[in-house]
Amino acid sequence: MLADFLLIAINGLVWAMAVFLVASGLTLIFGILHILNFSHGGFVMIGAYLAFTAMQLLTGSVGIAAFLGIAALCAVAVAGMGFVIDRVVFKRLKGVDDSYSLIATYAVLLLSEGAVKSVWGPNFESVYPPEGLGGALFLGDLFLPSYALFVIGAGLAVFLVLDWWLHRTASGKIMKSVALDPWMASILGINVNAIFTTAVVAGFALAGLAGGLLAPNQSLSPMMGGSYIIQAFGVIIVGGIGNVRGAFLAAILLGLIDAFGTVFVPQFPGIFFFIAVAVIILFRPQGLLSGIR
Amino acid sequence: MTTKPNIPQAGGNAGMVGPVLIAVALAVFATLPLWAEKGLVFLAGIVMAQIVFALAFNLIFGLTGLVSFGQAAFFAAGAYASAWLARMAPDLPFFLTLAFGGAVGAVLAWVIGLVALRRASGIYFAILTLALGQLVYTAIGKTTALGREDGLIGIARPVLDFGLFRINLAAGDNYYYLILVASVVLIFCLWWVWHGSLGRILSAIRQEPERVRFLGVNVRRYREYAFVISGTVTALAGALMAPWSQIITPMIAHWSYSALPILFCLLGGSARFWGPAVGAVVFAGLEHSTRTMVGMAELVVGGALLVVVLAMPGGILGALAALRQKYVTDRRGAAE
Repeated sequence: MLADFLLIAINGLVWAMAVFLVASGLTLIFGILHILNFSHGGFVMIGAYLAFTAMQLLTGSVGIAAFLGIAALCAVAVAGMGFVIDRVVFKRLKGVDDSYSLIATYAVLLLSEGAVKSVWGPNFESVYPPEGLGGALFLGDLFLPSYALFVIGAGLAVFLVLDWWLHRTASGKIMKSVALDPWMASILGINVNAIFTTAVVAGFALAGLAGGLLAPNQSLSPMMGGSYIIQAFGVIIVGGIGNVRGAFLAAILLGLIDAFGTVFVPQFPGIFFFIAVAVIILFRPQGLLSGIR
Repeated sequence: MTTKPNIPQAGGNAGMVGPVLIAVALAVFATLPLWAEKGLVFLAGIVMAQIVFALAFNLIFGLTGLVSFGQAAFFAAGAYASAWLARMAPDLPFFLTLAFGGAVGAVLAWVIGLVALRRASGIYFAILTLALGQLVYTAIGKTTALGREDGLIGIARPVLDFGLFRINLAAGDNYYYLILVASVVLIFCLWWVWHGSLGRILSAIRQEPERVRFLGVNVRRYREYAFVISGTVTALAGALMAPWSQIITPMIAHWSYSALPILFCLLGGSARFWGPAVGAVVFAGLEHSTRTMVGMAELVVGGALLVVVLAMPGGILGALAALRQKYVTDRRGAAE
């Protein structure tokens, strides 16, 4: 009984950390620029497909170090795309209504889906976990795939680094000050436009990293971006949009609710996530935590 | 140049352009089965339902100023409810099953509106309607009576019994003409709401919700009216489409289907009543012409949407109106 309970909780946590990896960059960009980037999931997908190609080029077995290296390369490549998207799209969305920029970035999501379809084709592809993460751990009669534990660790690590950066370093604090009052920050001699660009590039790098790390987590298809972005939307809106700590808490909360809900009502898997989002937003429209943190 | 009131000049009968274009579009749709191939006729039937879908959406988007990302839930509710009832009770008159679809859509819109409009606004409203729409999508995809992920197949086109005479909608292009007539009726209702006193209040709510509240109008209740009217008409469009496509899958409840009317509105121009209709036709053309190339549809549609959003905020109709305005002022400038 306890083992079952633990297994369900760990499944919930794997989901939570996977979605947090996607949501972190999304909420960072919204916190600084007030643009809810619908295309974020599309760039996670591009990161995953890039990792797929890289692992095919490295014929033979891929070790953990090589896997992490590939994920880092995906982050750099997608960050470069983010720089272009920032110049072409985001710079023109200053001061427009939030929902309007949501639609503009939805167009970018369509473009990224079209790009993935024309480069990699419409079929499903799969990526296997690297050497060393393909097996499983046994704790008593508990069966834990090592890759699942890796996803939990990766989510935790990204959260800790991001939280440390935003709260403990000078550049993170400048970032927050620009988010709170760009005009005042510019008077104090901060190059606000450079900070905006940095936030976008960092957010896209997180998308690429998430794609690289999560490539073995599910099969790859051109629909992958859309399904991740919907879950990430739910997480950041429940967490308090723009708030990294809130997104982390909300991911865990929603992951556990959905995992246990699916066990108790197996006819409707996945439905508890949406019910929980609706109920929480109904009673706390501003989310669990508010403001940029 | 003195400021003249913007009255159409003699000779340039600008006021007639709109009605003439509408009449031409109607004539094209009405005569389509006579000259077009079957595939195109089928597409036109779908496009008519989507035009109603988009015009109903624009009542809350362009007029009331709310971005709902869950409209597909109402479309699917209407389609599934009417198809399910027709299957359970095949002897019921067709208009009753249609009305049942509309009623289910109305109730669903009322409930979702109650939840989503209670507190949320702006982007929170968009995400909350998205979540609630996905809730409906997941529920439909897991319900055995609604065919789970496979959907309902073989939806019959019924026989209309008028007592004195009967029309078999399964024969020939009869169902196409039924969609045409029903769409015209529904569009007329929407036109009437948009241009009537309710429409004016909704438009005022979009521009200045705070002032309208000071004038003693219950803003939330009026937003709820708009939401329910839009949801009902959307559900009727879905109920009309089901026997036409003869197969419905949960994809018509998916959030990407909710994005369609938003696309149509922005492509055509959401500030004008007919904008979404133009957008729907242009979109169908883009998608139809790129259907054989993998990934091309997304690239073309995404690119077009991006250009419209970034460079032509008024959509196609807005850009055309600006062009005409420029032409008129240039000619007037030349005459003076």
